[in-house]
Amino acid sequence: MRRAIAWLALLLCAGAQAQVTYQRLVGADQEPQNWLTYSGGYSGWRYSRLDQINAGNASRLAMKWTFQVADLGQFETTPLVVDGVLYGTGQNDRAFALDARTGRPIWRYQRNLPEKLQPCCGMVNRGFAILGNRLFMATLDGHVVALDTRTGNLVWDVKAADSKAAYVFTVAPLVVKNEVIVGISGGEYGVRGFVAAYDAETGKQRWRFDTVPGPGEPGHESWAGDSWKTGGAPAWITGSYDPELNLVYWPTGNPSPSGYGGERAGDNLYSNSMLALDADSGKLKWYFQFTPHDLYDYDATQVPVLVDEDWEGRPRKLLLQANRNGFLYVLDRTDGKFLQATAFGKVTWAKSIAADGRPVLDPEVMPNATGQRVCPGALGLTNWYSPSYSPDSKLLYVATSDECDIFTSLPQNYRVGHDFLGSVYVPDPVVRPTGALKALDPATGAAKWEFKYFSNPNGGVLSTRGGVVFAGESDGNFIALDGRTGKDLWNIQLGAAIYSTAITYQLDGKQYVVIPAGSALFAFAVMPD
Amino acid sequence: MILPARLGLAVALCGALALHAQQKAITNPVAGDPAAIREGASLFRGNCSPCHGLNARGGGRGPDLTAGRWVHGSSDAEIFHTITHGVPGTEMPANDFEDSETWAILAYIRSLTPAKTENVSGDRVAGEKIFWQTAGCSTCHMVHGRGGVLGPDLSRVGGARSVPYLIESIREPSKELTSGTLDPNNHYGIPLMYDTVTVVTAGGEKIAGVVKNEDTFSIQLMDTHQQLQFFLKKDLQQVSHERKSLMPAYSEDMLKPAQLKDLVAYLESLREE
Repeated sequence: MRRAIAWLALLLCAGAQAQVTYQRLVGADQEPQNWLTYSGGYSGWRYSRLDQINAGNASRLAMKWTFQVADLGQFETTPLVVDGVLYGTGQNDRAFALDARTGRPIWRYQRNLPEKLQPCCGMVNRGFAILGNRLFMATLDGHVVALDTRTGNLVWDVKAADSKAAYVFTVAPLVVKNEVIVGISGGEYGVRGFVAAYDAETGKQRWRFDTVPGPGEPGHESWAGDSWKTGGAPAWITGSYDPELNLVYWPTGNPSPSGYGGERAGDNLYSNSMLALDADSGKLKWYFQFTPHDLYDYDATQVPVLVDEDWEGRPRKLLLQANRNGFLYVLDRTDGKFLQATAFGKVTWAKSIAADGRPVLDPEVMPNATGQRVCPGALGLTNWYSPSYSPDSKLLYVATSDECDIFTSLPQNYRVGHDFLGSVYVPDPVVRPTGALKALDPATGAAKWEFKYFSNPNGGVLSTRGGVVFAGESDGNFIALDGRTGKDLWNIQLGAAIYSTAITYQLDGKQYVVIPAGSALFAFAVMPD
Repeated sequence: MILPARLGLAVALCGALALHAQQKAITNPVAGDPAAIREGASLFRGNCSPCHGLNARGGGRGPDLTAGRWVHGSSDAEIFHTITHGVPGTEMPANDFEDSETWAILAYIRSLTPAKTENVSGDRVAGEKIFWQTAGCSTCHMVHGRGGVLGPDLSRVGGARSVPYLIESIREPSKELTSGTLDPNNHYGIPLMYDTVTVVTAGGEKIAGVVKNEDTFSIQLMDTHQQLQFFLKKDLQQVSHERKSLMPAYSEDMLKPAQLKDLVAYLESLREE
């Protein structure tokens, strides 16, 4: 009997190991040994309660294992780690599962992609979402697929959009309850953006929210003529979720064509906006548009950070976003009310943000046919790479790109599946772009400290209870800083630009930190004294 | 159009033989069309300007397309071919434009005011002597495997740069710095420039040179003795970028107008072999 109970317990454990329930996703911060969602939890913090690696021992970090994807291009994945298994996606829609202790692969998946695809910025994928024993991936050919966690076998595969018209997916999905939420890419090709949810069991579409309203829908009037048909407003970064409010916060990208607004007069809703969508119906509860009628490619596709803090003397459910347009926004996430915006670097496109949240534009810096210098540049003061919020320091860590660009603007004809940019920008030829990691106080927008990068970054930030923040540079350095002071604790050159953000997990009592660089994943842990 | 049978046969027979000639004879169907030029400008900026410069006047990597020098053929058909197929053995890639887009780009390029064609009336042989002896250019620049390594290799500079650009580079070398290393792993990267950097070591020694690479923690440079020097920034007191070229500006005192003409004639003759 005792033996039978022991066996039963073992079976239950094995079962629990394979099953990631919605409840586990809601409580992801309670199991820091794993990394269960793109941002490590629904609040978008990219923070871990692990503290084995700390300011006192980070200098003894050393490599534990490396995994080579065997493909080229930007490696933008955020791996998930569940009970000793690491699941990642790679360039060209590759995917893999590894023994998280050794980096040895258990299975590999490679999607057979059509020859001609049009992602603006590389054949990238930013990672899986997980529920039960299924992994969900949104693919470059416009499909959403489910793979079995144990084998990598395809469970279901649905076409969500037409990749021939440049609708592609690069986003890591977000699982909420039993639905898989994705957002489309293609803002450089005149797509009509959307966020959609699929049934995790069957792949059937549950809802879809078009980010450019059609005729008869509210917001349609913000587009002149037929410009809405090619209006862009893609949704290519993973949103956050508040289970209490049952709201999904999903940010959107630039209107198309990004550099020329002559044929899309109006605010161009819901481009460059934060959408608050009912998780069950996809209905819009509220929106906030950061950059109306954008001419600078200021996608608002930065992970929304959900924080419960006092604001002006009373507890409030806040949403923080360090936006590509250069302002750190604080919104009330129950109703979208604008509370504050502060520039966190050099900004010239707007003089300030007014009390209603709208930018006060500077007419002197509008793009024109010959070129206008504007800060931040088109890559933004920050971009899609993750920020991190630490509940210990109460600081928002943001990688910033200190670059100004010369923006030019010209009309362009739309053609299905072709670039639709309305001209281009070039970096300021006089001042070389640099970057920094800034520790921002959300209450004031001020930087408590900053660590200067030689080049502008493409990688984000992870913070931990151990007080260490990890970040990757585009010059290939993976660095660990003291979260309170910004002091450089440790760094290592990984030989290629880092296009992603670190995660951490614990296995057999050892804390690991994993970062993609080049074509490889690198895992580090602290070596004994 | 339906051809009479015999004539059709004759056309078919001649077709294969005439193919090459026909390719040369194809002309841009949208030449001079303002709408095509506008579209071409937009396509050019999005796709070509990263190498050829915003206004096609040459960038760090691609030649000036207004210089009137078409190394790979100057006819519409030949340039069309260069754009679509790229140039094997160079950095010019094949491009996947629709034909109408390629023609629009060509219409745009042809619409640009040609670079001022200075009269290259100098004596090439005299210029060669200036390059290798009098002006000391070869101390820092290499041509076909001979010369110094501090400045850019000039073996093909005549095919890549217009005469005004060459003159400017000699008289005012700091006006537009040449691009150096571009990290192929970094899709959004900005190449480093051939600018002057001076580091001060912990011991107070000042070392000047051209930066070969640099990041947050380290710097690699070639000093004025053409020796590679590598430093960790934490070991240095100071790193200063001067945002100017190490090359001396050759004023009229150092290089008379006639000598400049000769030197340019020599540089202009340096082409792909």
